Amino acid sequence: GELYCSLPNPRNVRFESVNMKNVLRWSAPEGTGDGVLYKVKYSVYGVGKWIRKLECRNINRTWCDLSSETSDYEEQYYASVKAFLNGRCSDWIETARFNPLTDTKIDPPVVSVSSTEKSISIILTAPEKWKRSPEGESVSLLQVYPGLQYNVSVLNKKTKKRWLFSISNNTLLVPWLEPGTAYCVSAQIHVTTPLLHSGFSKEYCISTLKDKVA
Amino acid sequence: GPCRVSMSMAEIRSGFNAIKANIQARDPIRNLSILSYPHSLHKVKSSERCCITHQLFTFYVDKVFKHCRTEDSYINRKISSIANSFLSVRRNLELCHEQNKCVCGQESLGKLKQILVNYEGLNVTSAAMKSLGELDILLDWVEKES
Repeated sequence: GELYCSLPNPRNVRFESVNMKNVLRWSAPEGTGDGVLYKVKYSVYGVGKWIRKLECRNINRTWCDLSSETSDYEEQYYASVKAFLNGRCSDWIETARFNPLTDTKIDPPVVSVSSTEKSISIILTAPEKWKRSPEGESVSLLQVYPGLQYNVSVLNKKTKKRWLFSISNNTLLVPWLEPGTAYCVSAQIHVTTPLLHSGFSKEYCISTLKDKVA
Repeated sequence: GPCRVSMSMAEIRSGFNAIKANIQARDPIRNLSILSYPHSLHKVKSSERCCITHQLFTFYVDKVFKHCRTEDSYINRKISSIANSFLSVRRNLELCHEQNKCVCGQESLGKLKQILVNYEGLNVTSAAMKSLGELDILLDWVEKES
């Protein structure tokens, strides 16, 4: 039968999602030291049947990867956690409704740069959607978010002058630059519908070639 | 379909995002979705998109928003601004419908009928709040297709 549930509840039960790698996380019940174990279940909104996540049964960690179970981003989900300690248990504590399409965070794009004497060319690669295994089919977030755009920042290290570009395709040529000068490039992903954006990537710096004539 | 309607989706989406957690938390019914049960909107043929979009906006304007009052004035203001956006979008879609570019086929009529059955299967306040909480399902579908 059901244990008497007088254990304090797990706290802050929520999905944390990056590039649709959807991980359920929570904090241990207040005032409980080591030894707390947890069970996890999840459900698809509109279907409602709770499904136990077997790999997260009687675990002592405070997270559970539900990426596989929530990979259809045309659906919404709930997940729930229950804590156990010395024969006592907590209530089942649920997340808010989770929509992978709008509730995921997006990593910055990968930036690669090359230069000539007076120009820099930039190639941007959007991150991939989480996949079950490395051999699995790669799906770019560009396919998930057709409205995906890039904001690109180019900084002249000498003059500290900065340009900002907003582009839809993934390549950018910046012309009319000074030869023999260092430029630093950083880029961000911006999705218009639904409204999402990544942070800016780290800076990738490169120098234009020295002027052969000079 | 041929009816390309420019919609202020960002406006509706940001209004909804501001109240999504609050509204969805008021809906305890997990095993029924007004828009997605038994089949997701995403399964609908794109040729019937214009009709379903028009009918769904009419559904929200005529049936849902009027029953979505809460005790929270901030939430109520957000709901009425979303409703106003829906009204202007519905007006645009009306033009399409009048110009006969928005043909409703069997599939869309069946889908819309199911949505009404789902809606009328609950008491009106629960049904309206659930429908409001499913706006992201509608927006995701409309944005994906456009």
